[in-house]
Amino acid sequence: MQTCKSMLSTVAATWLMLAAVPAFAHFGAVIPSDDIITQADAKTVTLEVKFIHPLEQHYMEMVKPKQFGVMHGGQKSDLTAALKAAKGGGPDQTGKFTFWTAGYDIRRPGDYTFFVEPTPYWEPAEDLYIVHYTKVCVNALGLEEGWDAPVGLETEIVPLTRPYGLWTGNLFTGQVLLKGKPVPHAEVEIEYLNASPGNISVVLPPADPYVTQVVKADADGIFSYAMPKAGWWGFSALNEADWTIDHEGMKKTVEIGAVYWVRTRDMR
Amino acid sequence: MKTSRIAAVFMLVSIFSAGVALAHKVNLFAYVEGGKIHTESYFPDGRMVEGGTVRVFDSTHTLLLEGTTDTGGLFSFPIPRVDDLTIVIDAGMGHKNSFQLKRTEVEAGK
Repeated sequence: MQTCKSMLSTVAATWLMLAAVPAFAHFGAVIPSDDIITQADAKTVTLEVKFIHPLEQHYMEMVKPKQFGVMHGGQKSDLTAALKAAKGGGPDQTGKFTFWTAGYDIRRPGDYTFFVEPTPYWEPAEDLYIVHYTKVCVNALGLEEGWDAPVGLETEIVPLTRPYGLWTGNLFTGQVLLKGKPVPHAEVEIEYLNASPGNISVVLPPADPYVTQVVKADADGIFSYAMPKAGWWGFSALNEADWTIDHEGMKKTVEIGAVYWVRTRDMR
Repeated sequence: MKTSRIAAVFMLVSIFSAGVALAHKVNLFAYVEGGKIHTESYFPDGRMVEGGTVRVFDSTHTLLLEGTTDTGGLFSFPIPRVDDLTIVIDAGMGHKNSFQLKRTEVEAGK
């Protein structure tokens, strides 16, 4: 009887603990110093590669990505060697976490799609590995060509809205691809990057559902969301990989995410 | 009555042509390599400016040379002077833009 009672309380405690784990959405992030490079701008773009909770401003420790590259004019270049480790943390986090930075010199006009394939991240709370294939587009010198081309990642969001020069309130439409094919009715999570440069007021969500917005794609994997504030917005579509990773002798599920970042500015 | 109708038509035409000019904003990009200056002229959607006039000015606004873009929107020429250069593309119909090539960039590409 005694044993039964204590077992019950253990179960209850475990259940409480599990319930208390906030359902914060993890996001791969690649944020450039600017999304539009004009003739008058410095031609070096600095990019920050992170694994974060964008609205809560939480960092997660990130080991060096497997692959970091850029696609321009249909050509892919590997930039993994350019990554440098840096440390950061959110305002309510104790300790510092690793993220990665890289500088890239723009030499020609056109769209530059930067992409990251991170090293799988073990998430004990969810008992799975997470790999977020993350992209962002930087436009240079007035040539608006290339943004709508898929990079060819295992899963990715391909924008149907030109992903730069966006106003606050604009609708962003994209298509979720898995192995190059649309994902019908994919669930897409959306978060605002509270640490966006120029964010005039940190967003404090009135309730948990405000943290991560959720939309579902249509039968062709196409989704839309109107962005209500100036700054960077992350779009993340999650799928389960058809491969597993061994963790302490057990095969574990891999969550593969297709993440895309866009920036909005206020009309004024 | 007639005047106002003409004015309205004129206004419509100006609005329309202004829109076209904006949507067809022309761009020129230049870089220096191996003693030559290479230019490419294009519209935002990636179409090349064919048969556009390229004019090169030095820092005193003196015209140094003039040329025509080929079918790929390209026009190249040997460095005319090590100076801050302004390169202007004129695609006709008021489609004009310029590119500033800094003296340091010209020097580096000699």
